[in-house]
Amino acid sequence: MRKNSILLLASCMLVGSVQAATPEVEIVIKDHLFFPSVVEVPAGQKIRLRIINQDPTPEEFESYELNREKVIAGNKETVVFIGPLTPGEYPFFGEFNPRTAQGKVVAQ
Amino acid sequence: MFLDAVILFLQEILEASLLISVLLALTEHFHRISGRDFRLPTYWVFYAVLFGAIGAWGYAVAMPTISEWFDYVGLEVVNSLLNLLSLLLLLVLATIVPSSLLQDKPQLRSRIAALSMVIIVLLALMREGSEIILYLNGVMSQAENTIPVLSGGVIGTGIGISSGIFLYYSLISLKQRWSMRACVLLLALFAGNMASQVVTFLSQADWLPYSAEAWNSSALIPEGSLPGRLLYALVGYEATPSILQVTCYGLAVMAILIGPLFRRAWWQKDRLQGSV
Repeated sequence: MRKNSILLLASCMLVGSVQAATPEVEIVIKDHLFFPSVVEVPAGQKIRLRIINQDPTPEEFESYELNREKVIAGNKETVVFIGPLTPGEYPFFGEFNPRTAQGKVVAQ
Repeated sequence: MFLDAVILFLQEILEASLLISVLLALTEHFHRISGRDFRLPTYWVFYAVLFGAIGAWGYAVAMPTISEWFDYVGLEVVNSLLNLLSLLLLLVLATIVPSSLLQDKPQLRSRIAALSMVIIVLLALMREGSEIILYLNGVMSQAENTIPVLSGGVIGTGIGISSGIFLYYSLISLKQRWSMRACVLLLALFAGNMASQVVTFLSQADWLPYSAEAWNSSALIPEGSLPGRLLYALVGYEATPSILQVTCYGLAVMAILIGPLFRRAWWQKDRLQGSV
């Protein structure tokens, strides 16, 4: 009986830790554009944004709505955490190439 | 390209130039607060700008390496440390320099004040300058960008520096007591900005837990608008700050305001009374 309840507790903890894993979303920067430019994420959860800069030149990922700002060197990748977000749209842009590098995070 | 370069250079230079202006104006007032023997020469600015430029170049070169530390959040961690150092030095200026601890040692006092100011400005220039250098490295790789980017950069830098000069002369043209008060108040807001930025960086790196939005003033002053950008450069305005950000901002402002510098600046009579 005791061995069973310990086993039950251990498996609950295992399930709990799997559910707590932060979802990861990838954004690629190529030719001064974001791929995808519309990033769909679940609302109410912390999201790990993995931004991969495939251009040889640096870019700055910036968003006023998300309060995030980060320079990514050429041919490097980086990580930015966002959220939990309330449902809505959160535009972001590349400060070094603001005319082309534009996108938005859509939380739903 | 030209306009983008103007805006980028302007934003980065503005943050540093406004800080330099306030510290320079404060330099004028320091000897009034700290006594006749205290002399703080203004050429500290040149050292600060020189070493700041070198630091910015070094930081830009090291940036790709640093970005991979701590599981890709190295930049946030290092930036936070630099900001905390700036905050600490602002506290030194506000609490230790005018305190009775250094009353009998005016030379040491002026050296500590000058060193603090140099390092604060140096760190600001490192932050902003490295971004400019990385931007230039990137866009100049294409030959057709050279003229629009360089001319845009010159114009943006010019506007940024002019804004700083405007702020400096506005501050020193106020009546003495109000001038001192304005300088120290702005210094307190800078300190708040440093603290608030640390919270943003560490939240971005997931080293600090999530904190709910404190308010949304983007209907009043959008962050991307001209007044929004100006306020951001001056005092770190955010349209949607988190509660933790606002709290740390407030704590840093209070830490400066409870120091002797603010008390002297606020309550100081126009004429020196004895030794202070």
